Amino acid sequence: MTAQYDATAAMEIVNASAPGAACIDEGVLYLEPDTLAESIRTLRDSEESDLVFLSNLTAVDHELHFELVYHLQSLDLNHILQVKARIFDREDPALPSLTRVYHGAHLQEREVYDLFGIRFDGHPDLRRMFLWEGFPGYPLRKDFLQMPGQVRAGLPGFPHESEENAWPVPGSVPQRPLHPNDPQPEGEVVVADESEDAS
Amino acid sequence: MTMSDDTRLAMQGTIEALTAGDGSEPVVVNLGPQHPSTHGVFRLKVTLDGEIVQDAEMRIGYLHRSMEKLAEERSYTQNIPFTDRIDYLAAMSNNLAYCLAAEELLGVEVPPRAQAIRVMFAELQRVASHAMANGTFINDCGAWHTPLFHMFRDRERVLDMFEMTCGARLTTNYMRIGGVAFDLPDELLPTLEQFLADMPENIANYEALLLENEILHARARGVGVISPEMAINSSLSGPVLRGTGVPWDLRKANPYCGYESYEFDVPVGEQGDCFDRFLVRMAEVKESLRILRQVVDTLPDGPYLADVPLHARPEPGESYARVESPRGELGFYLVSDGGPAPYRFHCRPPSLINLSALKEMSIGGTLADAIVTLGSIDIVVGEIDR
Repeated sequence: MTAQYDATAAMEIVNASAPGAACIDEGVLYLEPDTLAESIRTLRDSEESDLVFLSNLTAVDHELHFELVYHLQSLDLNHILQVKARIFDREDPALPSLTRVYHGAHLQEREVYDLFGIRFDGHPDLRRMFLWEGFPGYPLRKDFLQMPGQVRAGLPGFPHESEENAWPVPGSVPQRPLHPNDPQPEGEVVVADESEDAS
Repeated sequence: MTMSDDTRLAMQGTIEALTAGDGSEPVVVNLGPQHPSTHGVFRLKVTLDGEIVQDAEMRIGYLHRSMEKLAEERSYTQNIPFTDRIDYLAAMSNNLAYCLAAEELLGVEVPPRAQAIRVMFAELQRVASHAMANGTFINDCGAWHTPLFHMFRDRERVLDMFEMTCGARLTTNYMRIGGVAFDLPDELLPTLEQFLADMPENIANYEALLLENEILHARARGVGVISPEMAINSSLSGPVLRGTGVPWDLRKANPYCGYESYEFDVPVGEQGDCFDRFLVRMAEVKESLRILRQVVDTLPDGPYLADVPLHARPEPGESYARVESPRGELGFYLVSDGGPAPYRFHCRPPSLINLSALKEMSIGGTLADAIVTLGSIDIVVGEIDR
């Protein structure tokens, strides 16, 4: 099984070469955005951590800040480490690119730039990838797609959780088997009227 | 028909001007977006010096449906059909990866029978997907559809099994959070037995047809080479990574759904070229059949679905679950804020990330080699664009 690499050990490795570049909050390793690329290069080159494989790179919009999430994997030692970085500037969010550390960050950083509008300094070819240049806004930000009446995008609740939109009482609607192999219910089974189908 | 001396001289001059080293300019050729070699709506812009590729740049996004945004407005169960449409050639693997991530968030225990059924369908999906990958790869090498349709016979039989189990052939929507949607129908196991009995002979036929084929060797050996170090640094995964000789398979490295209890090998290549990727896929089909044999022999009884509320609300937190899909490392990163829908839904797409090194693999080869290289990576454009 792939083990979770100890965040404290990783913090010590990073802070040994650049003091103050890493800290731990609720068990997660956070890196300083300014020195992110060097810190991750240290984790990649250290024999102890050996995090040579960038498994995943993505961002999360937490409304007050953006959180960059990196999953780093060691193939020989078979452990994985989750690393995060926070950016509080929503107007022009930027942080160093990892493309010089991992070639595989190239397309993933372009995707984050395209959908979140986060700039990666030092990226050789930072253009929009799925959307076209000039597309208004960045779709995966939470403030994109403001609904009429300032309703936020997202699911406020399920229909059965409010009184006026309640789901039917179980048993009041005849159930049809989901699959031919399921046991057929006794009694009346609702069958679609063929004459209606024909019309 | 005779040609006047003037015409002959003029033609000679034109040819000399065209072939002169200093006067020639690189030519930009667009492959796609609609082209048989691009396997979908994918555009490859290549800059050519004569026939030699100087630069290759991909233009994607033609199939972008913004699934990650859509998924933020739907409940955890309602998101399962999206995962079918991410990689429509390996819907079962995508269902599985997403359900594993959601189960990690919800802390659900999956019953043993459901785990075995999941392994069975994930491996059947691998057989079907590799049939497609190898068939179209040989198409790109120049064989006009004969091997492809031989392999499609096997794929059809797998899709028939999907249909009899869940009613759909491509977008299966079969896995559920906590298990699978339906138990196995009575006719599935006999059909699967027959399939397992027939496949070794079919594979032996393909190997006799293809492995010693001189044209295939000429087209694929030494083409699109990548070193193991570069492959790891580029985050490549799946048969593209294993073709370079790195035995990295998540079914072995991080077993899920009880893969640790099945015996199988991880085939690897030696040179990291297109032919090695093809060989790895051929060998993986055999390993999948080995796993299927063991699953059928040890299929446990019991419930096929854990008791999970249809509209589950996980605690705030996050999860990252990965499976070895036919194309490589497929991961889902979910963030929950305690609401009914995921706060963030991210798919780690192996097809997109395996293209990271396409430029490096293609530069210096001919245009025809670039097409073979693209075919050997086995992309699914639905997964690249999402």
